[in-house]
Amino acid sequence: MLEILIVIFGLSLVWASITNMLGTIIKILVMQGIILFGITLLKTTQLNWLSFVTIALETLIFKAILIPWFINDTMKHNQMRREVEASVSNFFSLALMSLIFILSFALVAAAPAWSVKLFPLEFGIAFATILKGIFIIIANKKLITHLMGYLIMENGIFLLSLSAGSELPYIVSLGVSLDIMLSVLIAVLFIKRIRSTFDEDDSPETLRED
Amino acid sequence: MNAILLFAFPVLAIVLSLVISSRRKIDLLVLFHALIHSGLGLCAYIERGSLMGMDDLGLFIYLILSVLYAATAFYRLGHKDSSTIKNYRIHSIFLMIFVMAMDGAAMAKDLGLIWVFVEATTISSALLISYSNSKKSLEAAWKYLFICSVGIALAFAGILLLVIAQPEHATLLIAKIDLSTISPFWLKISFVFILIGFGTKMGLAPLHFWLPDAHSEAPAPISALLSGALLNIALIPILRVDKLMRQSGMGDLVQELYLLMGILSVFIAAVFVLRTKDYKRLLAYSSIENMGLIMIAFGCGGVACYAGLLHILGHSLIKAAFFLTAGNALEIYKDKNYENTSGLLQINRGTAWLWLISSAMIIGLPPSPLFTSKFLIATALLGNGYYLYFGLLMLLLAVISWAIFNVGLRICLGESERKKSLSVWLYLAPAGLLLFAALIGIFLPVMN
Repeated sequence: MLEILIVIFGLSLVWASITNMLGTIIKILVMQGIILFGITLLKTTQLNWLSFVTIALETLIFKAILIPWFINDTMKHNQMRREVEASVSNFFSLALMSLIFILSFALVAAAPAWSVKLFPLEFGIAFATILKGIFIIIANKKLITHLMGYLIMENGIFLLSLSAGSELPYIVSLGVSLDIMLSVLIAVLFIKRIRSTFDEDDSPETLRED
Repeated sequence: MNAILLFAFPVLAIVLSLVISSRRKIDLLVLFHALIHSGLGLCAYIERGSLMGMDDLGLFIYLILSVLYAATAFYRLGHKDSSTIKNYRIHSIFLMIFVMAMDGAAMAKDLGLIWVFVEATTISSALLISYSNSKKSLEAAWKYLFICSVGIALAFAGILLLVIAQPEHATLLIAKIDLSTISPFWLKISFVFILIGFGTKMGLAPLHFWLPDAHSEAPAPISALLSGALLNIALIPILRVDKLMRQSGMGDLVQELYLLMGILSVFIAAVFVLRTKDYKRLLAYSSIENMGLIMIAFGCGGVACYAGLLHILGHSLIKAAFFLTAGNALEIYKDKNYENTSGLLQINRGTAWLWLISSAMIIGLPPSPLFTSKFLIATALLGNGYYLYFGLLMLLLAVISWAIFNVGLRICLGESERKKSLSVWLYLAPAGLLLFAALIGIFLPVMN
């Protein structure tokens, strides 16, 4: 079951590579949040109950409900265009996603056997998700898409922390606590203020120099 | 007792500032916090004892922060502010939280805790950057928060990989990491993530985009702290993991990465100092250049590591003084474009001299400590056979020095009928920092 969930999680990255609609990426974020909850549930034997409750709250409430709702709400209020407006084509995006998968699995395959205590599938998908998130940030123009890329990257890190969590349980709580704090900060303070201050939803300056 | 004073006082001050309705009293609270901060650091230094278990590197960075915080707290006494008392109060509260977070990062020995504190500095300082609430400052704060969050997230991935690198008894307490059982493969990947992640926060190329905006849009005292203290804080976790890498026999990789990121940062700075018309942005690019130089110093290793530490100290003091002086210039001209500003020597002689001295010292003219550090870095590059790096670095440094001095002369020279006087604190704070830097340059600390 765990493997199936991880594979579906990986497939969501492929879906993110071929879509041009912001709404679809929001659906992907919801899906990833639910899958992460499922993975956490299946891993409860390795994590204590306090960590489990915290993670479940974060995955279901924050990742799958609150954040997607907030992004959707922001888009509606700003009457944003529904397209992603990526700088690269879907074909290129999909080809790169394949490369990312190859690289991620090659990495875990290249590791000396004695040093691998991880589940390779989980590590490979987690690593690929982190890289995919970075790619979305780099390859898109809209501020809201950057935020979505960041959230996908955070989901990858979350999955990675679940892998490492069996070695050092507090690391999971560490990531979760700051993830929540950061999400709240982004949601409440910045986007609301930026919405009322900036004229347009696009922020082409975000990653541009000078 | 030290811990109570260091962390409980600002908490008390924050609570007090909520009920105070006078700017002056809030300023005095911040100043009092800064003095306690410096006092504790000084005691720890004189007694050669560690403050709450801080090691030498932590104490070094803490002391630099203390000096800069005290200077900015004095500067605030003379700094005019047109915002409401409510905003000013929030600003001061977040300033104290920002300093506390930096203290925590300097003191912590657990990599996970350092990460938490560095993340806390990002959140608190983002609010300080957006203080003016203008479109530009909000955009700068967003850019800062977003890019640094990406960096911090990558650093967290690096920390997770460090956990994965320890198949037996994983820990993030640097001193307790067992190098005999660590996997060099995962440690290497972990280091790359940590370097890129915290390097982003340090303003190293290629993820430096946030720095020019954030440093130029923040109020002068905040720019001084961001450039002089925060960038050093981000270096701490890199140096801590660097130690593990070198002890595991992967020093060569570390050096190559440092040199590459260092020279790239200096290159980016050299390109953009020629393009920018904003004198605060110019100083921000100079910070990127100096961070690059620090990485080159640590990349060379040996005696150049001493040069790296000296450069950290010198750059922090001089750049903070320079940003405070730029704050004076902004107060006088209400414009950051140097093409619209001239005749500073006639308008305000004190600020003009501070600007010229800061320019001379930041490019490394004696008695600046940066003269010695740059000289040692150049010698180390030649000594290690990095001739290409040496040639390129000299060329880029010449370009940057020319740009900084050119802007300085354009602002200071020229005719003007205007006269404008400023509060004495606005001269004393940067002058004190420059004097301190000059004294260090003259009476250099003995190298062990």
